[in-house]
Amino acid sequence: MTVRSFLLRRLVLVVPILLGITFLTFMLVRIGEQDPVAMLGGPMADEASLASIKAELGLDRPFFVQFGIYLGNLVQGDLGDSWQSSERVADEIRNRLPASLELLIFSVLLGSLVGVPVGLRSAQRPNGLFDQVSRFVSLLGFSVPTYWIALMAIFVFFFLLQWAPAPLGRLDIAAFPPPDVTGSYLIDSLISGNWSTAYSAASQLALPVILFSIIVAAPIIKHTRAISLEVLASDYVRYAKAQGLRPRTVRRIALRNSITPILTFIGTELTGLLAAVSLIELIFAWGGMGQWGLNAILLGDFAAVQGYVLVLAVFSVAVFIVIDLLVLLLEPRASLRA
Amino acid sequence: MKKHARLLSGAAVAAVLALGASASHAAENTFIFGAVGTPAGFDTDAWLTGTLETSVNVYEGLTKHGITKDASGRDVIDAATVEPHMAESWTVSEGGKVVTYKIRPGVKSPFGNELSAHDVAYAWERARDRKRVGNFMIRVGRIEAVEAVSDSEVKFTLGTANNIFPRILTTVFPALTDSKVLKENATAEDKWATKWMEKNTAGFGPYHVDSVRPGEGAVLVYNENYFEEKPYFTRVIYREIPSPASRAALVKSGQIHWADQMPIQQLVDLIKDPKVKVDSVPGTGAATLRMNPNFKPFDDVRVRRAINYAFDYDAVSEAVFRGLGERSDSILAPAFGRFYTPAQTYNTDLDKARALLAEAGHGNGLDIQLEYTDNWWWEESLAIQTKDALAKVGINVDLKRIPKTEMNSRRAIGKRDIPFFPHLANAFVLDPGYAFYLSAHSEGSSDVNDYNNPVFDKLVDDLIGEQDLDKAIKLAHDAQKLHADDATFIISDFPKTYAVTVPCISGWLWYQHDRVVWKHLRCDG
Repeated sequence: MTVRSFLLRRLVLVVPILLGITFLTFMLVRIGEQDPVAMLGGPMADEASLASIKAELGLDRPFFVQFGIYLGNLVQGDLGDSWQSSERVADEIRNRLPASLELLIFSVLLGSLVGVPVGLRSAQRPNGLFDQVSRFVSLLGFSVPTYWIALMAIFVFFFLLQWAPAPLGRLDIAAFPPPDVTGSYLIDSLISGNWSTAYSAASQLALPVILFSIIVAAPIIKHTRAISLEVLASDYVRYAKAQGLRPRTVRRIALRNSITPILTFIGTELTGLLAAVSLIELIFAWGGMGQWGLNAILLGDFAAVQGYVLVLAVFSVAVFIVIDLLVLLLEPRASLRA
Repeated sequence: MKKHARLLSGAAVAAVLALGASASHAAENTFIFGAVGTPAGFDTDAWLTGTLETSVNVYEGLTKHGITKDASGRDVIDAATVEPHMAESWTVSEGGKVVTYKIRPGVKSPFGNELSAHDVAYAWERARDRKRVGNFMIRVGRIEAVEAVSDSEVKFTLGTANNIFPRILTTVFPALTDSKVLKENATAEDKWATKWMEKNTAGFGPYHVDSVRPGEGAVLVYNENYFEEKPYFTRVIYREIPSPASRAALVKSGQIHWADQMPIQQLVDLIKDPKVKVDSVPGTGAATLRMNPNFKPFDDVRVRRAINYAFDYDAVSEAVFRGLGERSDSILAPAFGRFYTPAQTYNTDLDKARALLAEAGHGNGLDIQLEYTDNWWWEESLAIQTKDALAKVGINVDLKRIPKTEMNSRRAIGKRDIPFFPHLANAFVLDPGYAFYLSAHSEGSSDVNDYNNPVFDKLVDDLIGEQDLDKAIKLAHDAQKLHADDATFIISDFPKTYAVTVPCISGWLWYQHDRVVWKHLRCDG
């Protein structure tokens, strides 16, 4: 199977999955008791007013009629309007997704750059000092609540030490956003040669990225260690050792065989992190999609919740396809058919 | 303080530049307001995030309340007086049923258009047609018609003369807008320019919207045509900072002037912090637990009274409001002056509670459910305290936390199916008739527990129309007593309203809408 036919086949499979997710989300937000009508009407709305708002929002129509209209609009790229922010959901996603991705990608890169070597090293001498320390750190990353560590970090690094800038979003309030190329303020300001903005973006990113990378690195350390231990105990590694190969060469063989499951794991983790980043965004006033999605869920903003979940689903599917292709690149024996 | 001032002036200049303003404005006094969310609209008929917080600074009324001093010498709103504002005078005829206002000349919007009687008539017509908050004011103020008699005179015809009506005109419900600008931005599908008002303003007040950035905040600037004294702060950076802990850290470090909507947990610490100024005033809305008499066992007044007697008021004041609230002892707040009758509520008396329960056939105990949410910061801890207190008389309270939107939906008019739940209603119009009507009249929009006593309704209706002050006071006292006897509320504390600012801020004046009016503020030091 060629890469092209693989991609086509995946896309065909993706359509019913996304349709199912869309339907489930559409249904779930409506079967709960959440109802934006009373909220939009305000505390002084009378019954006639509530009825008129309901009609304006189209919520007085039968469920399947509402879903049909939504799907019809969806295929034309119209995700509806957010009732809370009055913005088009597609515009909100377009504006906010780059902010979340910037935070997420830098955090995953940093988390992986730290987590993978630490996991590999831990597996070299199980229960050694390095392994014990790394397992403890990993456990901390798992168990400490995200919001707590973020607030503590702000208190220490911003308020007490004044090393970090104010948690006021993606740029210092003195900096202008760079011309939009990738959506990442850091990369775009570097591309445009705007060094002061690049410095501001990097400063604002530093603390949330470091914090989130701790959360990202914890499971990576744990899984890399487990995968590596398994590979190191395999017949081919034992054979390599028996052959008298140098430890460095043996490690390279082990790494080569570990990297595919590690990459798959990181990919799997990445799909969940786009949702998990919302708490970090909330605390750092990041203005990203996670913060927006969380708010939409709390406020029963149907169109925004539907758009948010759909984006998470599309993102997950895209990540899995990319991971499959990367695995193929690293492991040519892997079949695209599998 | 100097450090704060330096930090803020630097931050303010930077913020102005960053949010797209011209450099010439950077030197002006900029106020940085740390808010929960970016304003999602500026139409007071559609309450969205930030709508009220900004609208009270963009729109103003034909009239205003006078300002007086309280016992501590602080400036407070005088509920008893209504003074000219955008209207310079008025005449009353036909026994108070027709009131004609003369518009003050020279009141202009930022677009340069002068306020006319046609703008006023347009605002009320818009409110009537939109059937939202403004329409509630039409009902409660008994407004039958609003007509521009000339460019400078607008006539209100009332169904009955009443005291609520002149006070409604002090509010921003409905907002007085520049109708020329709204009409220019109306479309065939949107004849009231509601879409345009999601991002723009056209008021006659001291500020107007310069820019809005979703997820980041908004910039509001001084209306150069404003008819009163120029405020100290001529630009306002309305910055979205959703986390209260982050708002607290930012105000402590002097990065923002004002941290809005701080929960009690943060307030307790901030009050002790010398880098922050925390000011407070008693509010007009009491924290209450409401019992819906349409549901068992709350249909029995003996059960409702027993619950009122079993409630531990002192423990709630201490544990929930941390001594920062003020025990309320009537459905009406002390802010209503002579209309307020103290001690029209209950004190803890477990023996009385047990006796009432036994009399009602619940001597062996009772199971009830209390549903709550996080609309107000005190709800969950109040629910927990209630469970503990009622257990002492054999009432087992099952606590159920529900989403905020579910609560809003289920207590809306036409549904009202929650038997027992917390609620707080603020009277935006400082009139006792309005406060009663809002919270407990069977047609009141905040009668969320569906209390329906025709005798009480009549007292309130009579009070709204009563022009004789002594008779009105008597009616208000009777209404408070009757409402307490019916015991559908457990009235707990007034959670105070707090202003959390950097130390240099002064001039805060509390208004009944409970939102800060920026034109009074200044930063000295």
